[in-house]
Amino acid sequence: MTMTTTPRELPHAPWGRVRKSRRTADRAMKIIAAGFTFCAIFVLFWILGMLLVKGIGGLSLATFTAVTPGPGTEGGGLANAIVGSFVLTFLGIAIATPIGVLAGTWLAEYGRGSKLANLIRFINDILLSAPSILIGLFVYVILVEPFRGYSGWAGGVALGIIAIPVIVRTTEDMLNLVPGALREAGAALGAPPSVVITSVTWRAAKAGMVTGILLALARIAGETAPLLFTALNNNFWFSPSLVGGVSNLPVTIYQFASAPYENWQQLAWAGSLIITISILLLSIIARRVVSGGK
Amino acid sequence: MTAATDMTRIPGAAPAARKTPKAGFDLAFRNASFAAALFVLVLLAGIMISMVIGGWPAFREFGLGFITSSVWDTQNEQYGAWPAIVGTLATALIALVIGVPLSLGIAVYLTQLAPPWFKKPVGTAIELLAAVPSIIYGMWGLFVFVPLFAAYVQIPLSNLVEGMPIVGTVLYARSPSGLGIFTAGFILAFMIIPFIASITRDMLEQIPSVLRESAYGIGATTWEVVRHVLVPQAGVSIIGAIMLGLGRALGETMAVTFVVGNANRLSPSLLDPGSTIASRIANEFNEALGLQLNALIALGCILFFVTFVVLVIARLLVSRVKRY
Amino acid sequence: MLSTLELSPQTLDAEAPVRIAVKNLDFYYGEHKALKNVNLDFRDRHVTALIGPSGCGKSTLLRIFNRIYSLYPEQRAEGEILLDGRNIIGKDVDVNELRSRVGMVFQKPTPFPMSIYDNVAFGIRLYEKPPKSELDDRVEGALRRAALWDEVKDKLKSSGMGLSGGQQQRLCIARTIAQHPEVILFDEPTSALDPISTGKIEDLLEQLKSDFTIAIVTHNMQQAARISQYTAFMYLGEVIEFAPTNTIFMNPAKKQTQDYVTGRFG
Repeated sequence: MTMTTTPRELPHAPWGRVRKSRRTADRAMKIIAAGFTFCAIFVLFWILGMLLVKGIGGLSLATFTAVTPGPGTEGGGLANAIVGSFVLTFLGIAIATPIGVLAGTWLAEYGRGSKLANLIRFINDILLSAPSILIGLFVYVILVEPFRGYSGWAGGVALGIIAIPVIVRTTEDMLNLVPGALREAGAALGAPPSVVITSVTWRAAKAGMVTGILLALARIAGETAPLLFTALNNNFWFSPSLVGGVSNLPVTIYQFASAPYENWQQLAWAGSLIITISILLLSIIARRVVSGGK
Repeated sequence: MTAATDMTRIPGAAPAARKTPKAGFDLAFRNASFAAALFVLVLLAGIMISMVIGGWPAFREFGLGFITSSVWDTQNEQYGAWPAIVGTLATALIALVIGVPLSLGIAVYLTQLAPPWFKKPVGTAIELLAAVPSIIYGMWGLFVFVPLFAAYVQIPLSNLVEGMPIVGTVLYARSPSGLGIFTAGFILAFMIIPFIASITRDMLEQIPSVLRESAYGIGATTWEVVRHVLVPQAGVSIIGAIMLGLGRALGETMAVTFVVGNANRLSPSLLDPGSTIASRIANEFNEALGLQLNALIALGCILFFVTFVVLVIARLLVSRVKRY
Repeated sequence: MLSTLELSPQTLDAEAPVRIAVKNLDFYYGEHKALKNVNLDFRDRHVTALIGPSGCGKSTLLRIFNRIYSLYPEQRAEGEILLDGRNIIGKDVDVNELRSRVGMVFQKPTPFPMSIYDNVAFGIRLYEKPPKSELDDRVEGALRRAALWDEVKDKLKSSGMGLSGGQQQRLCIARTIAQHPEVILFDEPTSALDPISTGKIEDLLEQLKSDFTIAIVTHNMQQAARISQYTAFMYLGEVIEFAPTNTIFMNPAKKQTQDYVTGRFG
């Protein structure tokens, strides 16, 4: 069986066929890509560094206890703005969470695959990136103009509208990750859909849904544009009824930053530092919840 | 026999006594979640309708001239959107020109080049760029970037191009303050990078590793694999990601308001102050009365339809990810 | 002993030069040692099959020959693999060029997102700049060798992703041979295909052997018996037995080999 041919000559093609231009292009691309990445990260740290350098000097006990100063008034703090921001943000989340979670649940559990669900999902994705200033205008038209006045309620609603799509999206995504077998097991015990959803599916997706809410919180905490025409701002403690302007950090920063008063500028920087650090921490915590929950 | 059957019966489990637990709650829950889902549609429709109705007096007063006119005169109640529309498009375009290459480079670095232990922190840092509030970008732009830009770019560049044809107009700053259309576009670029970069990264990561391996297996370099195989494979979804970034850039308000200069006149130079739809609204809305208010909402209406179209295209493209 | 196995007519040339020589090869996934002291010879213009149960390291071994493993920084190889006497694990080797000499066909068909023509021309264009007419000839030649020409000659400009699974795999083979590699690696090339497509690919392997040195990983013992001249049986990262295919299947020296080829484990 063995063939008795003489060993064939091996076609030793010489090595070194890679053209220099190819190698240069490859190397150049790698350096450029790494450089671009460095660039973006550099900007992040530049911004953080700027906030630390300029903001820390303005931080003191008074920042958290005194109210925002009027024009030409010495000293002052951000107490009313900080509390106002808390109130507005949580009002927004309180409005958005039930609506967002229920809508996300409908998309994932009841409407799955239907044309209506696809349409709603699509529209939700568009709302997710809609300019926030338009939400502000919208709320102005439906809540501020008819009731003849700015209010914390309008501000909360505006923030809530921005938060809803975020919560809808994450809720649906997280529910879709829950294995169908778990639902079937629940249904096999005779539990109706609502009970399966609330006590099995939601529980399985809890970490992810909480992340969605935290991300929504981070998203709206720094929003300025929608508050300009809704909650407005002022330099006093706002009324507990939230009627009239409600002071808040973002609009305060906007108004103080380029003002001619030194203490206003100081407070703008301090406020920027507080708000940015809070939001970045929130975002990082939200990520932790997801990776810890899986 | 009967005794034996009785013995096996589970106490209290008479079939007749069973009914579906909480039938009322079940229906209520279902309807509530359906209503919440419909609310999303109502929201979009509401925004659309309120913009049209709120802006209607201005549209009725000026007709098509509202879009094409460059006059913005509160004394004589003459309003035209043209400078703001041009400013919006120009800043967004500059943002794309700067932001897209950066984003693609970042996505390629994160998926192909970064050592594994480095990927996560870098990826997180890029995503955190998206978490920084708009107003903070405005502060950074106004107080850090603008002075540097005026001193080291605008003034030397203006001196250089002065008198030259075309570039002498487009790149010449009459008042080198650092504020202007280009500055706004530059800041916007960094605001849209995290969106474009992270979607593109996700698209590249979804490509099965066997395709990547077989491209390498034929002797292609990393650059060739990315350019000829991975990017075409991710294809239209990368364009979708870019459109999504465009949607963001068009409607971004606070950062732009800080640095765009808020001039109502249209200047032929990119380095001169201008305004965008969003910055005009943010600046004037609280002092606006009567027709000016309607004109501003009409501006919002234009912004709404432009971003709506851009975002619809973006979402259609992003969702059309080719499954392998 | 194995009458059910249809053995290929062995055209075994014991004098054929050794194209790839594996010497004392170890391989690591991070801390985990996946290959232990592998020694093998792959002869010119012969088909060598690597068989063994899942996880035995046969695919791992194949992926060292074109250094595709080095895409993953945590994987590393120690020892020597000589391709025509040159150690390809050495640092001085340009991995891209190595891969143009050692082609690979993967488990799943992987057409690139471009036309059928461009898929085949892609590898040629990377390393050579032939005039258009010569490029056309090479593409046609490669497609003919891959027994795909008649099916695609009228739609060379259409996307390679529109072909059927078996056609896609033959397109990948055409793409590989168009580069004129010296060695072709097949990593379970038929495991994602139906029996008819599998038959076509096996016929193709038989043809290709006259020009190329072929190494194939397969979990299908009949396939190994049908198409290879040499077979290496691997288990737990080691080469248990390496011999002419007839010997492995008819008269193995080791009991583990015998157990595996008779289906007693794995």
